[in-house]
Parts: sequence; structure tokens; C-alpha cells
Amino acid sequence: MSWETAVERAINNNVPRVYKILREHPYILDLAKELREAKLKVLENLEYYVDKTLDSVKRAGGHGYLASSPEEAREIVEKIVGKGKTVVMGKSMVAYEAGIREFLIRQGNEVWETDLGEFLIQLANQPPSHIIAPAIHLTKEEVEKLLKQKIGGVHEGSTHEELVTMVRQFLREKFVKADVGITGANAVASDTGTIALIENEGNIRFSSISPTVHIAITGVDKIVPTLADATKEVLVQSAFAGLYPPTYVNFTSGPSSTADIEMKRISPAHGPKEFHLILLDNGRIKASKDPVLREALLCIRCGRCHLHCPVYRALGVKWGDPPFTGPMGAMWSYVVYNDPKPAMYCAHSGNCKEVCPMRINIPRVLEYIKWKGNRQKA
Amino acid sequence: MNDLKTLRDVLVENLERNMMPFPVDKGICTGWTRDLPRSGDTIIYTSCMYQLAPLFPMFNRFLPYLSALRSLTPLASKLKPSEAQLNRAYNVLRKISNALTAKGIKLAYLYDDEPYSGALLLELGFLDEFQEYAKKVYGRFKERGVKRIITVDPHTHNALARYSEFFSFNVEVVNYIELVEPREGDANVYTIHDSCLYTRFLNLREKFREKIKIKLVEDDMVTGKDTSFCCGGPLAPVDFKASEEVAKARAKSLSRLSKNLLVQCPICYVTLSPHFEGEVKDVAEVIL
Repeated sequence: MSWETAVERAINNNVPRVYKILREHPYILDLAKELREAKLKVLENLEYYVDKTLDSVKRAGGHGYLASSPEEAREIVEKIVGKGKTVVMGKSMVAYEAGIREFLIRQGNEVWETDLGEFLIQLANQPPSHIIAPAIHLTKEEVEKLLKQKIGGVHEGSTHEELVTMVRQFLREKFVKADVGITGANAVASDTGTIALIENEGNIRFSSISPTVHIAITGVDKIVPTLADATKEVLVQSAFAGLYPPTYVNFTSGPSSTADIEMKRISPAHGPKEFHLILLDNGRIKASKDPVLREALLCIRCGRCHLHCPVYRALGVKWGDPPFTGPMGAMWSYVVYNDPKPAMYCAHSGNCKEVCPMRINIPRVLEYIKWKGNRQKA
Repeated sequence: MNDLKTLRDVLVENLERNMMPFPVDKGICTGWTRDLPRSGDTIIYTSCMYQLAPLFPMFNRFLPYLSALRSLTPLASKLKPSEAQLNRAYNVLRKISNALTAKGIKLAYLYDDEPYSGALLLELGFLDEFQEYAKKVYGRFKERGVKRIITVDPHTHNALARYSEFFSFNVEVVNYIELVEPREGDANVYTIHDSCLYTRFLNLREKFREKIKIKLVEDDMVTGKDTSFCCGGPLAPVDFKASEEVAKARAKSLSRLSKNLLVQCPICYVTLSPHFEGEVKDVAEVIL
């Protein structure tokens, strides 16, 4: 009963809300169109934009790295974090892809996911089932049971609000004592080295401001030409995710700074002393050179395709290689894990291409991956 | 997931041998008519989809064992849909054919020479094999002087619509719904399960709605253009169990709207029928 009920509730809560947002804010569709063009411009010359972004991060006082593989990403993180630290993570699917959380725990750090959904699946020791709602597979009743068992203080028949309050109380202390905050990035502006992060909970703001070190880890596909384009990406992403207007949009350009004494800009101020941006390749640059797979890299991770896909609705987390589930996940399972099997489960229903803000013809990309997979086998 | 390499080998072997995806008694395909001429510019093209669709669930259940029991595939030619299943399929085809003839269209039918479209190769991502086979199909059409093809199901229509992406294909392809004049209404109230291919790939959703002159029970979350889910059928050759999960969910949501369901595709019919709480009918059965 669990998956069927959970996904049914999520679809009925989310899908009408997205339609309403797009009706009420029609400019979102124009922004989406412009964003597609901007992202394509980067993908057609990705290596150039990676270099440009890393230079910009440096100019902003931060440290930029290109990690070609998850192993390299973990090595970079290890050097920055070290051992025996408290780390708060602000939900990054790329951090999941690179296995950062488990790695840091193995290195002797205390690591907490602070996004509610991620926190729940960390407690449950489960993989994420949706790109922006990782605990979509858990019903309220299951969340209640899980929290009762793992952190206590939850009574039977708790409301949604009461459950969230319990997690809030538990995580507050972690935010305050954290040495390092790790986030993802919804977009990275190549011209300024700024990362854009969108959220509703406030956990990302906490994770990126409170600790003295902020590490952002994201894919090279998240680079856009300018800060204006990054703004478009977060607005479009939140609208198509059904969470518009977003409660918080965070822009981070290097470590904290001030110019309040004689207008001389110095760093740090109240926020982090260090800012590190790790851009993960892991197959993305290779995919950007393939005209069909390049389309997959346009994905802005709104997760809308999931809720319109009959196969995802039936199979959930069983379809794809976590964190990449659903139609976009079937594309991404191939891009980063070289796994064509999830693409074989595309029933070319076509809903995904109708609702994708980036107008990615997902069934056609998956057909291409099927072909590549079939050829590999042959 | 099934062993798709073996499935590919079986498909290619049979398509090479008799231009059908598996061994079949061609009499099943052609039994619906004796009246249409064997040649002409314009053909009705069944690709044997309506006629064989009742056998698909059985084939799909067999596929997990295909590698081990491949030697048994010739026995498929002994399988026949039940009389009731065949009569229903034939009735659909006759209704379409009669409606086209009533519009003054001079129809021919290729009978035993009618090849399968290759849709399954395309949908499973065997694009090289699809290209090679589709050229052969085109050769058959050219050889028989075909200039216009009238399709009756979405999978065949989609396959033909894609031919020109792979090679130069100069035959007009049109779907029957674009040509027929439906009879006036039906007293029953239906809901509708749209074909994914017609709706989101072939731009025929509104054409079907325009021609269905009966009351449809619709719900934006169930029968909308972006929200109407697949029947699960195309997934069956890959994973029958997963296909059944999709079918059950789809049938359940449609059952909430009406006890009468219209479908536009023979695969949707066989996939949804076991799970839908009510009666399922093809659009052609009701409007023609």
C-alpha cells in the first residue's frame, strides 16, 4: 500500500499546483525558453565554461575544483574536511552521486542531512526516490514511525506540522555546532562564480552560512553563462517543482565579506571563512559532445517528469540508479553510471516531454540510450 | 528484465523469414475480408495488430523463458486467438474498412503480402534492425504500387511516420480517424483512454475527440493530455510484471470515471481489459 498511496498523494498535491503556478505566472514559460538557450550555449562549449567558472570562483575569493570522478570529488572533500568534524549537508544529489555522506562518516565525521526528505532517508537508510522529494515514498504514517524509532518525542497520530517541529528541534543543535556545510547548487554563474540555491526549509541557508567552511558540490551541467541566467534557473526550477514562489533563494559568491571599514572589501565577515566549489564531471563532458545526450544535460531537476510518468508511478525508486529515478533518472543513469537498463523501461508515454520545462524530448533520448545499450550487448 | 538480445534475434529471424515478428498463421491476419482488391494506390494497413493483439499477453508471459525455450518459437504459428477475440478484431477492421469505403475511398489490402511495420524493433530501441527492416517494407509497398497507406492503429502509424527519419520514404501515411465520418452518438456514457502515440507524438488526440460524438467522462488528472497515463503495454516485452503494474494503476483510475471505457489501440485493449472494472470497447466499434 505504501508506494501507491504515497505517490498518489504526491501527484494529487503537486500536479494541479504546478498548473496553477504556470497559469498565474506565465512569464515563467518565457524564462524557461531563455534558460534552455543559455544552457545550450554552455553545453556546446562546456570545457571552456568550466575553466571560466573556476576562474570566476577564484576571483571571488573561493576555491574551485573540477573532479573528473566521484573518487576525485571525495579526495577533494577529504582534504577540506579532514576528520572528527560535524558536517551538515543541505541536500545535494551530486553529493549523493559521489557518495560524500557515507565517505565522510567512514572518515570519522558526524554528518547530518538537513533537508527534511534527505534527513528521513538518512534515518531510514534508504536511497532517494525522487530528485527533489527524496522521501516521496514514505507516507506520513511511516515518517511518524521512523522518527519515533530514531529520534523519539513523536506521538501516535502526529500531524505533519508536529513531525516537522520534531526534526527542527533535533537539527537546530547540529546547525549551530557544525564545522562544515555542504550544499549542492541549482545553478552556477560562469561570469561571477556565484552559485544559486533554492529552497523552502531554510536548511540550505543555515548550512551555507553558519559553519566556517562552505563546500558546494554540483555537476558541470549546472553552469550557466551569467548570474542573470542562474536567477532564471532557480525561478523556473521552483515553479516547475510546484514550489513557487520559493521561500529562499541563496546566491553565494565566495566566502563572507564586508566593506564596512573605509569601504575596503575584506573576507571573512560573519559567514564562512572558506568557500569551495567542486564541479563534478563523471561523464557529463563526454555526454555534452553527443548531440542527443546533450539534451539530458539540460535537465534542471524540477522532478516534474516523475509525476507525469506511468512507469515511475508504478515502479518508483525501483526504476533508475539512485539518486536518478524516473524519466530524467533513466537518462542520467546512463550519463553518469553508463547504465542503459533504466532506459529500457521507458514505455514512450510521452507525458514527460510535454511537461519538461527544458522541452527535452525524453522518450527520444531514452530511445537513443536503448539503441546504445542494445549495441553494447550485441 | 527480459533477455532482449534473444528477443531481438527471434524478431529479426522471423521478420527476415516472413515479414512478421514471430511465426504466425497468416490466415488469422487476412480472415477479416475477402472483398477488397489485392492491389491499388491506397491500402488499408493492419500490420496484423488487431488480429494478433489477443495473443500478445501470452507471448509476453513466455518471453522470460525465451532464451531457454527458443526452440519452441515455431509453435507460435499454432496459436490462435479465440473465436470471440478474432470476431471482435475482424469487426473493428470491417467497420473501419466500410467507413472508409463509404467515404468513396477505393481501398486495397495486401492480404498475405501485408508485412509487419517493424514497430516493435523501433520501440525496443533496435534502431539499426528497424532501419534495415523498414527499407524492406518500403520495398514491398513500392513493388505493389502503394502510394497512400491508411493505418488503423497507433503503433503502426508511428512506425511509418518515423521511416523518413531513417531513409527517403515517399508514401503518404494517414490514419483512418482523419478520414471517416462517424455515425451519430451512442446512448452510453464512456470515459476514454487515449493512445500515448496518437496523443503526444502524432497529434491526433483532438481529431479523435472531434470524431467521437458521444459524451465522455473526463477528469483533468486522469484523461488530460499531459496526465493520461500509458496502458503499460509497450513495457510488456521488457518486463511483463512492470507492465501489469502500470496497467492496473491505469485501469483503476479510469474505472473511477465510468464503467464504459473507449480505447484507440488494440494493445491498450488487451492490456487494460483484464484490470478495468467494466466494459472496454475500441473507438471504431462505437463510432463507426
